[in-house]
This record gives sequence, C-alpha cells and structure tokens, in this order.
Amino acid sequence: MIEPSLALYGDAFDRVDRHLEDLLGATGVRYCLLVDRKGFVLSHKEALWAPRPPALDSVATLVASNAAATAALANMLGERTFSEQIHQGEQGTLYVESVGDSALLTLIFDVSVPLGRVKVHTKKTIAQVAAILGELQDAPPVQFSEDFSKGASALLDDLLG
Amino acid sequence: MSTINFAAREINCKIVYYGPGMSGKTTNLKHVFSKVPGHLRGEMVSLATEDERTLFFDFLPLDLGSVQGFKTRFHLYTVPGQVFYNASRKLILRGVDGIVFVADSAPNRLRANAESMRNLRENLAEHGIDVRDVPIVLQVNKRDIEGALPVEMIRAVIDPKKELTLFEATAHNGGGVFETLKSVSKLVLDRLSQNK
Repeated sequence: MIEPSLALYGDAFDRVDRHLEDLLGATGVRYCLLVDRKGFVLSHKEALWAPRPPALDSVATLVASNAAATAALANMLGERTFSEQIHQGEQGTLYVESVGDSALLTLIFDVSVPLGRVKVHTKKTIAQVAAILGELQDAPPVQFSEDFSKGASALLDDLLG
Repeated sequence: MSTINFAAREINCKIVYYGPGMSGKTTNLKHVFSKVPGHLRGEMVSLATEDERTLFFDFLPLDLGSVQGFKTRFHLYTVPGQVFYNASRKLILRGVDGIVFVADSAPNRLRANAESMRNLRENLAEHGIDVRDVPIVLQVNKRDIEGALPVEMIRAVIDPKKELTLFEATAHNGGGVFETLKSVSKLVLDRLSQNK
C-alpha cells in the first residue's frame, strides 16, 4: 500500500489527547486537530466556549490535500518540504504544521490570538506528539478476524442494497 | 492501508474514482450523496472550475456503521480526468485503499480510457506500488448513450486479461453506482481482515 497504517492505541492516544488539550489551554485557540496525511482525523479538541465546529471530515481532507499540494510545490522549488501553512482571514486563522512525515497539527483560532504564541506552543507540542507517533511505528500489525469481513459485508448489503 | 484509530475505535478507508475526463466520476458521487440517508454521509466537497469540471477532487465521507465495535467509514474521492491535471491525480492517490476505474462508453473515448488506465498504473508506480496491489473495480459507464461501444471492446483496452470485476452503469440515473461501490468496498474490507 502507498501509506503505512496509523493505528493509535489506548495509552498513546491518551497522551496525544493530553498534549492537544494542553496546547488548547496554552494558546487559546478554538479547535485543534491532529490529522493524518491521508486526511483522516486522529484526534480533535475544541475549547469549551467554541461554537460547533465545521465538518471535521471536510476540514481534515482539505488540510491534508492542501499540505500535499504545498509539498509538491516545495519539491518543484527545490525544497524538501514547507513545514507550515498559515491562512489568515478577517475573522480568524488556520495554522497547519507537519508532525513528522505522518501527520499534521491543525489549529483554528480567532484574530485576537497572537500567531507568535500559537507557533511557540505548537512547536513544543509537535515534538511531543512526533515522539509518540514514532513509538507507534514499532507497534505490531493490526489483526482482524474473518468475522470482521462478514460483519462489514452485512452492513454494506444494508446500506448499498 | 486504512487508518485505524483503536482508541476512538474507528477504521477509515479511502476509495478513489479514477478515469478519463467526463466519464462520470463526479456523477457517481453525486448519486451516492443523493441516495444515502443524511445521517450516514457528511458534506460533499467539490473543488471544481466555473463550468463544474473537477479541478482538484470531489470528496464524500460515508459512514458504514459499526463492525465489531469499530466505526467504519469510507472517504470517497474523484480525481480530475483531464490529462493536464496529472499532478493533482498523483496527490489524490496518496494512501488509496481501493479504486473504481470509470470508463466512458462513447465511441470517441476508447483511446482516452486506455490512456487513463496507463496513467493510473504510472502514478501508482511512482508511489512505489503495483496496480495489482490495490483493489480495483471497473465500471463501464454511459451504457445508454447512442453508439455505445461494446463492453468487451472497452475492456480489451483497459483490462485485457479480464482481471477486474466489471459493472455496466448509467451513473446519471444511478444504474450500477451502488453495485460498483459495494464491490470495491468489499474488496477493501476483505483485505483489511486478511491484514494485507
């Protein structure tokens, strides 16, 4: 397959979650997402005061696609990668930074939050999360039984006829 | 391979609709979006030009439900079919778990079908994988147009060894759309349980 699977297990997931929670508190951002390079949300945190988030699937997909396109541009310009992307609007900012080669940390925040503060805290979190994702590379492959396949087939029959 | 989040108990799979321009890839997704109950699908995102040709991709998340306690989800993508958007196609293939190749039955699109399949093989190879390593289903679309080419003629240029499961379709009215999706989904999930 093109990409290795990213399997987040209990303890690793909890630790990643805690780091995102800390980042949320330290920066005052609205939403914080860890997205894999394929565009799937691995973990998501939002501030208590934040309004209902936009469709996270769509946000993750567009962020990952944008990162892939940006990386392709970087290669064309002789760079290995552009590690961060910043999109600033009138009301808010989207900030994306690579977590190694496997994931993207995405923060969405209001104009009142200083970008510099977000960057400083994000870099610290990235180092911690990257270390955890690195540990997962040595995790044993995931096993599903034949029953899984049967159960999935039954669901497909229900949904798609 | 699929993204598995044990803690959140989620399995996510990526399926890409590939094929020449105007063969009906976006139409497939639009039909799925229109027929699947709202609580099982997310928003459909289309990055298209002003004349509604796909510029980067279309995207539709689909919830299958829970299998053995794992919430199983498919992310459906299309690629832009036009030859000059190859850089985008290559990016979208990243992490693909299954492919629907949508071929066009129009008599003047035989060469475009063949070139698109060759392009798919090349793009997969650039990601370091053989086309035989990814579950692929062949959909021969637009079977209702006047002068539609015989299915076997189309297959002969795309899949001469007859290795792919083939579905005839008329995606604009939904014919064959769900059968195709179901087939590729089963192949993807079977591979998951075989741990490939």
